[in-house]
Amino acid sequence: MDFDVGEEEFLVILGNSGSGKTTLLRCIAGLESPEEGYIEVGGEVWLDTKRGINLPPQKRGIGFVFQDYALFPNMTVLENILYGMKKRDRVYVIELLKRFGMEALWDKKPDKLSGGQKQRVALLRALVSNPKLLLLDEPLSALDPDLRLNLQKELKDFQKRACITAIMVSHDREEAIRTGDRVVIIQNGKIVEGGKPYKVLTSGQPLLIEKRKDKDRILIILKLDGGFLEVELPKEEL
Amino acid sequence: MKKIILLVFGLLNLGQAEVIRVFAAADLQYALREIVAFYNKLHPEDKLDLVFGSSGKGYAQIRAGAPFHLFFSANMEYVQNLYMEGLIVTEPKVYAVGRIVLWTRKDTNLDLSRFPEVLLDPKVRKIAIANWEHAPYGKAAKEVLENHGIFRKVRQKLVVGENVSQAASFVYAGTAELGIIALSLAKTPQMEKAGKYWLIPEEGHKKLIQGYGITKEGLKVKQVKRFYNFVGSPEARKIFLKYGFMLTDDKR
Amino acid sequence: MEGINYAPIWLTLKLSFWTTLILVVVGIPLAYYLAYTKSRLGLFIETLTTLPLVLPPTVLGFYLLLLLGKHGFIGSLWHRLFDRQLVFHFEGIVLASVIYSLPMMVHPLVSGFRSVSRNIIEVSWTLGKSKLETLIRVILPNAKASVLTGLVLSFAHTVGEFGVVLMVGGNIEGETRVISIAIYDAVEAIDYFTAHVYAILLLAFSFLSLALLYGVNRRWNL
Repeated sequence: MDFDVGEEEFLVILGNSGSGKTTLLRCIAGLESPEEGYIEVGGEVWLDTKRGINLPPQKRGIGFVFQDYALFPNMTVLENILYGMKKRDRVYVIELLKRFGMEALWDKKPDKLSGGQKQRVALLRALVSNPKLLLLDEPLSALDPDLRLNLQKELKDFQKRACITAIMVSHDREEAIRTGDRVVIIQNGKIVEGGKPYKVLTSGQPLLIEKRKDKDRILIILKLDGGFLEVELPKEEL
Repeated sequence: MKKIILLVFGLLNLGQAEVIRVFAAADLQYALREIVAFYNKLHPEDKLDLVFGSSGKGYAQIRAGAPFHLFFSANMEYVQNLYMEGLIVTEPKVYAVGRIVLWTRKDTNLDLSRFPEVLLDPKVRKIAIANWEHAPYGKAAKEVLENHGIFRKVRQKLVVGENVSQAASFVYAGTAELGIIALSLAKTPQMEKAGKYWLIPEEGHKKLIQGYGITKEGLKVKQVKRFYNFVGSPEARKIFLKYGFMLTDDKR
Repeated sequence: MEGINYAPIWLTLKLSFWTTLILVVVGIPLAYYLAYTKSRLGLFIETLTTLPLVLPPTVLGFYLLLLLGKHGFIGSLWHRLFDRQLVFHFEGIVLASVIYSLPMMVHPLVSGFRSVSRNIIEVSWTLGKSKLETLIRVILPNAKASVLTGLVLSFAHTVGEFGVVLMVGGNIEGETRVISIAIYDAVEAIDYFTAHVYAILLLAFSFLSLALLYGVNRRWNL
C-alpha cells in the first residue's frame, strides 16, 4: 500500500476499528515503529528501516490531534497553545482565540471547557508550530452529531486557510466526504480503494493512484500486521 | 526567606568542632557522666561526648573503625586485645573493679537475701540480665548462676539486655521482677529511690577488672590525654568509689 | 541530668534533608524508567527497589555494613577517594537512608507517572519537546500529588529510621546519633524525661507531615 499526499491536501483514511488506521497514523507521527517501512515528507526521509533511519516524533515537525484532545490539564488554554511554539507569541494566540470567539477562555484550565472548545484548542495547539503535516486521529468522534457537523466544516476551512497538508483518520464515511479532498479506505492494513471522495464512495470503483516524483510528495510505505501499506501522496492537480 | 537560606546553609554544613568521643561500658552510665561534669568545671573548653554500650560492642565498633578517642571496658581483655592489635596506643590501665548485685523494685516485696533461691520463686517471672556474649556483667551474672547450679532452671525467665544498662532499665520499668546488674547502676539516685539491691559475693564470678586506653584515633586530638590523666586523679577516684567501684593499683 | 540536647534533632533534619534531596535526583529518573519500560529488567529493578520495604532493617544494615565497611567495595573506594570512612559517619548513614527510603520515593512516583495520560505525553513529543522537557513540563506537574507524597514519605521515613542507622552508623554525636537512637539511649539510661521530649517531637512531626500530605492531596484531587 502506497500513497502520496499533495501539498495542502486533506486526505482522509477511512477504516473500521482494527483496520490499522490508527497504527498507520502513529507510525507517521513516529510514536510507533513499523517492522519495515519508508516515509518521506517534502524530500526529507523520516523513516527508512533499511537504512536504520527513524526520526523521533520531536524531529518530524508534525501536529497531532488526539480523539480525547490530550490538552495539558496543568496549563491554561493560552499556555496549552503556546507550548509548542518556537517563538512564544501571546498576542498572535489571543488573536487566534478571538477568531473562534474563545478569547474569554484564555486563562481557563481545560477542565472548564466544552468538548468543542477543547477540540479547537487542541487544533490550534497543533497548528501554531507550523507543522509540515497535520495528523488527526478521529478528532471529532467524541462530539455530539450537531456540533460535529459544524466542526467538520470548520476543520476543513481551517486546513485550507492554514495551507497545511493533513491526514485524518476516521471511521465515518459522511465525515470523509465532507472533509476530505481525497479518501483512502483501508482494511486489515491494506488500501482497498483510493481517489476523489465522491468517486470512491459513490461508484465503488477502485481508482489508481498516480505516482509522481515531485519534491513535495509524501511517500509512505509501511509493513504492518496485515501486510505492506504503501501510501504516496502526489501534489493534487486542481 | 532569609531564615530558609540560613536553614539550608545549616543543612549543608558538615563540619564539627572537635570533641572527645568516649565509648564506655554501660555500667559507667552515671559515674562517668559525673566525672565529666567535674572535669568540665576545670576545663570547660573541652567537649566530651559519651556513648555507652556493652564492652563487646565497643570493641567490635573500634575494630570496625568507629572514631572513638577513648575506650572504657568493663573487661580488661577487650582493651588488651585492642592494644595488641595496635588500635589502642596506651598501655591498658585499670580504673576500677566492678561488682554485680541482685536488684528489685521495692513494691515486689521480694527478700533478696534469700539468694539464690529467690530467683526460683514463682512470683519471679522474668529476670533481667545483660547479654553474656559481649557484656562482661552479663558474663559474670551467668557465671554466678552456673556456680549455684541454677542457670538451666532460670534460663526460661531470663530477659537479655544488650548491655547491663538496658538490663537495669528492664527491671527498673518493672518488666522483670529481678535483675542482675552493676552495683554502679544500683547506686544511682533513681535506682536507689525505686528499689533495693543485694550485693552478690565476689567469689561467684571472675573479677570484673575494668580498664581503659586511648585509641589510635584519640592521638589526633590533644585534649584526650588531659581527660585520660584526669580519670586517674584522686577526684575521679572519689567518684568511682561513690558508685561502688573498688579501686586497685594493680596494673596487670 | 543535663538539659535537652538539640544536636540529634538537628542531625535528623540534616539526614532527612540530604536523603530526600538525593532521592529526588535518583528517584525521578528511576521512576520514569520503571513507569514506562516494558522490559524484564524493569520488573527486576522494580522488585529490587521494593525490597527495603519488606526486609528487616537488620538485613539491610548487615549487608550495608559489609559493603560500606573498611574492606567493603564502596567503603574502601570512598576511603581512597576522600580519606574518610563511611561506616560510623554521616555520609554512610545518608547512603544507607537513601537505599532504605528508596521505595518511599520511587513507588508514589511510578504510580503517579503511570496515571498521567499517555496521550498528553505523546502530544508533547509531537510538539517538538524532548523527553526531558516533557518530563519536567508535562509529567511532573500532572503527577504533583505523587511527587509531594514521595517527598513527604521519604523525609518522614528517614526521620523515623532506626535499625539501619544503628547498624551502619553506631551512635556518634553529630555524625550518626539521630533522634530515634537518642531515644533508645535515653531509655537505656533511664532518662525518661529526655526520651519523652524526643518521642513527643517525633510523634508530632510524623502526625503533622502526614496530615499535611493528606490535606494537600485532598485539595488537589477536588
